[in-house]
Amino acid sequence: MDSSSSTPDKIRLSVSNHQAHVWNVPDIARLRSEHRICGLLGGTLPHLAQQNVFLGVPLILMPEEVVLLVQNEVAVLVDDANAHDTPGPEEKQLWEDQRATMIQKQLVQKAKAKEDEGISPNNKSTSEAAIRKRQERELKKAAAAAAQKAKQESGDADLSVFNTEATSSGDPAVESGRETPSSKGPSQPYAITIPTSSNSVSWYHSDAHAFSTLDAARESGIWLYPSNEEERARCGVFRALWEKDYYLGNGIKFGGEYLVYPGDPLRYHSHFVATVHISPENPLRPMEIVAHGRLGTATKKAHLICTWDDKTSSVDILSIEWSGFG
Amino acid sequence: MESLVSYPAFESIAKRYPQAASSLFATYNDLLHAQRWEDLEVLDLPPCNRGALKGRKPNTDSTLFVVPCSMSETLSTSWLIDALRTLDEPDGIYLAISTEDSSIVYYRISRGFAKPPL
Repeated sequence: MDSSSSTPDKIRLSVSNHQAHVWNVPDIARLRSEHRICGLLGGTLPHLAQQNVFLGVPLILMPEEVVLLVQNEVAVLVDDANAHDTPGPEEKQLWEDQRATMIQKQLVQKAKAKEDEGISPNNKSTSEAAIRKRQERELKKAAAAAAQKAKQESGDADLSVFNTEATSSGDPAVESGRETPSSKGPSQPYAITIPTSSNSVSWYHSDAHAFSTLDAARESGIWLYPSNEEERARCGVFRALWEKDYYLGNGIKFGGEYLVYPGDPLRYHSHFVATVHISPENPLRPMEIVAHGRLGTATKKAHLICTWDDKTSSVDILSIEWSGFG
Repeated sequence: MESLVSYPAFESIAKRYPQAASSLFATYNDLLHAQRWEDLEVLDLPPCNRGALKGRKPNTDSTLFVVPCSMSETLSTSWLIDALRTLDEPDGIYLAISTEDSSIVYYRISRGFAKPPL
């Protein structure tokens, strides 16, 4: 047995419309704790859908994060749309059967729970006091109806439609008998669970549509980033900062491309805001230095100008700070 | 400019790089009279086509380097790296950006990751 059999599986990144998503929660945890890739949660919670304080899967990754993970051989890109094959008749039948079993299980569980609480399947209490009260009510109703009938027989006969209650015997056993749940359509509501991940669906074949290199993914057209000098520069700068053990996040709140954290963003404030320059000759205006420098210093951060050199595939980092005088 | 008392100190450099003369002039005077720097000297910075300045803040010992420029100029990262290299890789340089109304703002530029302020 070689050592690779003990290494964990590569993380699957579901690519849809050139955006990578992670649907598997343990993978999301691994990306953060083992690979310092945080991403952004883009979903909500099924039971609290109308809020965005607590977010849920999928995790959406920046393209630079995806490139880094694939290059590091930690993740593979899955062509999600094509990974869902059309189910054959047998697979469909199996799925229907599984769903029917789930529904049946729920109904049985509900019936059992109600029995335990002393409630009959049609929601009527089976305690002795309740039964006695019900019988008394029925007798009263029957007496009132009989009196009405006697009055009406001297009047309009069509109203006999409203007297059908008089024929009920008031016996709880008979009542419940009339409402036994039929095998055709259960009268109790049941929940249908829609799985978040397609892994449990038998016609989803991610392995057959997974790409372990960027070139392979680019050839098939599902992942094209980086496709130009600017995108290459961003990937290069991202990797250079990541390799120095920083956590990186989106920099828009502080006027930069990335926020650079010394540790997990849940624990630390970022120390730096980084901007990407696509080449050492790229024009840099003094006003940018003023704007970045002042904003960085005012927010207790330093601004980093990260320049990518396409010729040497290297990154140069310059820090900008307000001098404190002048 | 020529009639100013301090002109002789940077006269030759200003003549060599006429386009950068006004920002050098403004910065020199600001550091000398407003910021009260000591031991102010003018240096030659050929890769950036201008003169630079070195001196000490009042009551301090460390020598600091200042590179003047104008707000309307266009620089680049390689320009800044050339300046750092020519000045023999100091911890950092101060870019003095002068504007048309004679305001000057100073920003510290250093290589790598600066220590964040306390």
